[in-house]
Amino acid sequence: MMIVLGAVLVAAAVVLYVVQPVFSGEKAPLVSLDEEFTEAEARRHLSLVALRDVEYDFATGKIDERDYRRLRDELAREALDALQEVRRSREQAEGRPPPAQDTVADDLEQEIAAYRAALRAGTLCDRCGSANAEVALFCAACGRRLESERGEEAAPAARS
Amino acid sequence: MILLGEFALWVALPVSIWGIVLAFVGGHRKRGDLVLSAERSVYAVFFLLCLTSLGIILAFVGEHYEYRYVWGYSSRELETYFKVTGLWAGQRGSLVFWVLLLALFSSIAVFQNRRRNREFMPSVVGVLLTITAFFLGVLLFADVNPFERLPFTPANGQGLNPQLQNYWMTIHPPTLYLGFTSFSVPFAFGVAALITGKTDSRWLVVTRRWTLLSWFFLTNGIIFGMRWAYEELGWGGYWFWDPVENASLLPWLTATAFLHSVMIQEHRGMLKMWNLSLVSLTFLLTIFATFLTRSGLIESVHSFAQNTRIAYIFLAFLGVATMACLLLILWRKDDLRAERTIESFLSRESAFLMNNLILLGSAFAVLWGTLFPLISEGVAGTKVAVGPAFFNRVNIPIGLVLLALTGIGPVIAWRKATRRNLERNFVSPLLMAAAVVAGLMIAGMRGFYALATFAICGFVLTILATEFWKGTRARARIEGEGLGRAFLHLIARNRRRWGGYIVHVGIVLMFAGFAGASFHTEIDRSVEPGDQIRAASPYGHEYVLTYQGLSSSRTPNMWQWVALMDVSRDGRRLGTITAEQRIYSTADQPIREVGIRSTPLEDVYVILAGVEDFEGAVLNESSAQGAVFQVLVRPLVGWIWYGGLVITLGSLIALWPGAGGPARRKVQATPASARLAKV
Repeated sequence: MMIVLGAVLVAAAVVLYVVQPVFSGEKAPLVSLDEEFTEAEARRHLSLVALRDVEYDFATGKIDERDYRRLRDELAREALDALQEVRRSREQAEGRPPPAQDTVADDLEQEIAAYRAALRAGTLCDRCGSANAEVALFCAACGRRLESERGEEAAPAARS
Repeated sequence: MILLGEFALWVALPVSIWGIVLAFVGGHRKRGDLVLSAERSVYAVFFLLCLTSLGIILAFVGEHYEYRYVWGYSSRELETYFKVTGLWAGQRGSLVFWVLLLALFSSIAVFQNRRRNREFMPSVVGVLLTITAFFLGVLLFADVNPFERLPFTPANGQGLNPQLQNYWMTIHPPTLYLGFTSFSVPFAFGVAALITGKTDSRWLVVTRRWTLLSWFFLTNGIIFGMRWAYEELGWGGYWFWDPVENASLLPWLTATAFLHSVMIQEHRGMLKMWNLSLVSLTFLLTIFATFLTRSGLIESVHSFAQNTRIAYIFLAFLGVATMACLLLILWRKDDLRAERTIESFLSRESAFLMNNLILLGSAFAVLWGTLFPLISEGVAGTKVAVGPAFFNRVNIPIGLVLLALTGIGPVIAWRKATRRNLERNFVSPLLMAAAVVAGLMIAGMRGFYALATFAICGFVLTILATEFWKGTRARARIEGEGLGRAFLHLIARNRRRWGGYIVHVGIVLMFAGFAGASFHTEIDRSVEPGDQIRAASPYGHEYVLTYQGLSSSRTPNMWQWVALMDVSRDGRRLGTITAEQRIYSTADQPIREVGIRSTPLEDVYVILAGVEDFEGAVLNESSAQGAVFQVLVRPLVGWIWYGGLVITLGSLIALWPGAGGPARRKVQATPASARLAKV
């Protein structure tokens, strides 16, 4: 008797749990909520990984200057394209009209300059990646303590 | 509770079918409610299968021998530990275990992606539940229900095969199964990418860590199996090219190929179709491996299963799945065109491609050799066994080329290697290889393959060491860190690259261990107490083993005869080794328990091959102490296990979550993008 009761309970619980959304209309999202992995972001991510490897390969003498420039230009263009697309889609999502091409490029230059400064000061957040002011102890965006690892990944090629 | 477990198994099938239908329909019609219901079925199936597994374990622990499965794989004398692991001791339970793990990984995948990658999820859920439903269907309708009852209740079970009563054997199958089942997730994402038409970069990013995880489990599972064979099968080797060993190697080979070829797609936008094919092929091979292990179709040391009806069901599933994958890939073939072409034979692209072709070639050779007995039986009517000789002849040269590529791949240039690149990176490793050959030849070593292996090991290790040194030095210079700190940071900042290189180091160690096999010595001798067996090691040492005597004893489930040997090397006493024979009450054949004495350079491996007078020995008569021994000196075997540890370390580093790649969240944040400013 107990067995039958247990079985009925298990079956009822499972069926209710599974079928409930169909009746209540509760929905699973069909487009991603986190922007982390839109197609453009994935492309950007991959081209940055590739770019980092190329920088490294050049720094350790595995590729020649000419090939290095060519590969880097290719990958950097891909990364920039993806980057701009990410920004466009973000601003669209926020309801603003897509900015003109050169504004994107200008903004980008500014932001990149800020990040280079943060990179040098070691105040890039290693959790969310935001750039912080040189004197910051905690990340302004996510609150993480800035351990100041002095400049994240070594960028040998950039300096050698 | 056991009945509840059985009931849960029956409920799981309709729930998963419900989930399949709703996932695909919901995905097609863009109905979030249906997709949510499908995702909940994934969790529900996992819950139900937990109940089922719990039921089986309780049946084992509670000694319910009215269940055929429990009766076949347990007995009252068996230790509780082995009763719990009875869940995966036999075909029926291990199928439950398989689908339990699949449900676990499916649940993790669904949970991880509850906010991300939503476009893929309906198809992912649909595919994962389809695989689940197939296994559930097999369990319920192919005469392999673990809850099948006998017409009466036997007083005791038949007992567990004694060779399975071994520590490694309890962790080897689960580890392999973890590898097999977790690969279903990258496969499901691959299929989802094909179905949704989003075949670009995203599924690669999503599945990379899953693939690595699966590879990690597969690798460890295979090494555990080797360890088991070495300790338990008692013939002194670790790999016999047995069909089931081959079956686990096949998906490993293709998964390794996939892990490498994704990098070409990432860097150069090539090989998209190839990557999708590799994911599908690897998945199909994991199913094939499960099928081969658990159908008893081919004779094997692992054939602990004999139902053949299930074989046809598996074959049908494999056939349908293969067709479906092929059709999907053909359907999307226009989206899968390469963005670039390979420009030079001497480039990293082509090195990677070579690695892929070789891995696949090896997989094909292994598959052919494994299936040949079946094919020959079908075509010519006689079963021709394919022995280790065939596999060794084919795979040793292939393995050596692959080994060389583990060194060449990391340093050869992308796109096109120039002469300067080649000179700069390969001259000193080649000199090192030559030095290794010269040194070993002077030391008296002969044998082409062994010399070649050690030479290539030297070549690869030099390359990898140089890589680590260059990277560390560059980092130390730029960041002003000490060398030790720079080294650790170097690895932490690009874990995939350096973790991968560490895996390569482990592979080199393993190959050195394999090459050691060509120098092993073996001595068979019949002895009386006090007699000595002398064995020469290839390093010039002499081992003397003095036979002390035999003692027999009885435990609840076996008789055992233990022989004691005193070991000394070059006149210095090292200690003792014991080797045993056991006769379990549940088996007729005596089982050998070998004695192993390991040092980093060589193992002394003692097999008690025979006892001259079993009955006299039982009575511990002094006149009945004669025994036959096989003594093996096996150089470098330990390196295989050390290599395995290094591989584990490397893959854990590559797998470790968190920062280590370029930051993913914010576009502007990555140091690499900071460098873009210079472009």
